[in-house]
Amino acid sequence: MTAIDMTGLRGAGRTYAVTGRPGLHVSVANLGLACCAVEFGSAVTRGLLEPADPTLEPEMTVLVVSGTLTHRLTPALVEAWDAVVGPRVVLALGACATSGGPYWDSYAVVEGIDSVVPVASYVPGCPPRPEALVAAIVSLADAS
Amino acid sequence: MSDAHAFIALDSAACTSCLVCARECPDWCIHIEQHSETLAGDGRPRTVKLLDSFVIDWSSCMFCGICIEVCPYDALSWAPKPVVAESTRAGLAYGISELADPKMDDEG
Repeated sequence: MTAIDMTGLRGAGRTYAVTGRPGLHVSVANLGLACCAVEFGSAVTRGLLEPADPTLEPEMTVLVVSGTLTHRLTPALVEAWDAVVGPRVVLALGACATSGGPYWDSYAVVEGIDSVVPVASYVPGCPPRPEALVAAIVSLADAS
Repeated sequence: MSDAHAFIALDSAACTSCLVCARECPDWCIHIEQHSETLAGDGRPRTVKLLDSFVIDWSSCMFCGICIEVCPYDALSWAPKPVVAESTRAGLAYGISELADPKMDDEG
């Protein structure tokens, strides 16, 4: 079971599984101006992701960072990452998480979350589609 | 569901290196390198621009399509070929050969 405490972050600590892959847990970090998080939600409402069974030990936890990371929110991301127990990877969902997106030259925005946490998969798009998110999660799991 | 707006393809033969797309891109994710050559002919010498490299960096692309709209020579177009996730940011930078429209490849 993944133990994630992201106090102060909306939608924090929820864990999902890829439909048909119950051992693969996905955690969402809803950071700041995270319109990409809507696509994560869409993956859930479309049934591509489903609430994880808390009694199952995850084979891997994918921390999905969906949205623009500001310098102000950086400690929250580090906290979320440190709270993931067991095998873990970070997935950068969308242009903002990957490179800062359209805000890359803003004083307030981190130019890609990979300067804060190691990123295993960069999913392009503004926003990426839910299918792209789930495909990237599954390929991460298959590669590990 | 349509994948029609999944990819921006480049017809490098139609590109004149005018840089309009790169200048209009809201987040500057198009990177173009070009050089000029002077061609001698019957009349006065003509200077033309030649494309050396054309990179769309999907890591910050918003897929807004402004580059396609502003291209005066229709060198850019939507293509139904999704850009897949990469394990590195550098892998999201596509050059001329990777941006070629797969449909055009089929036609030779």
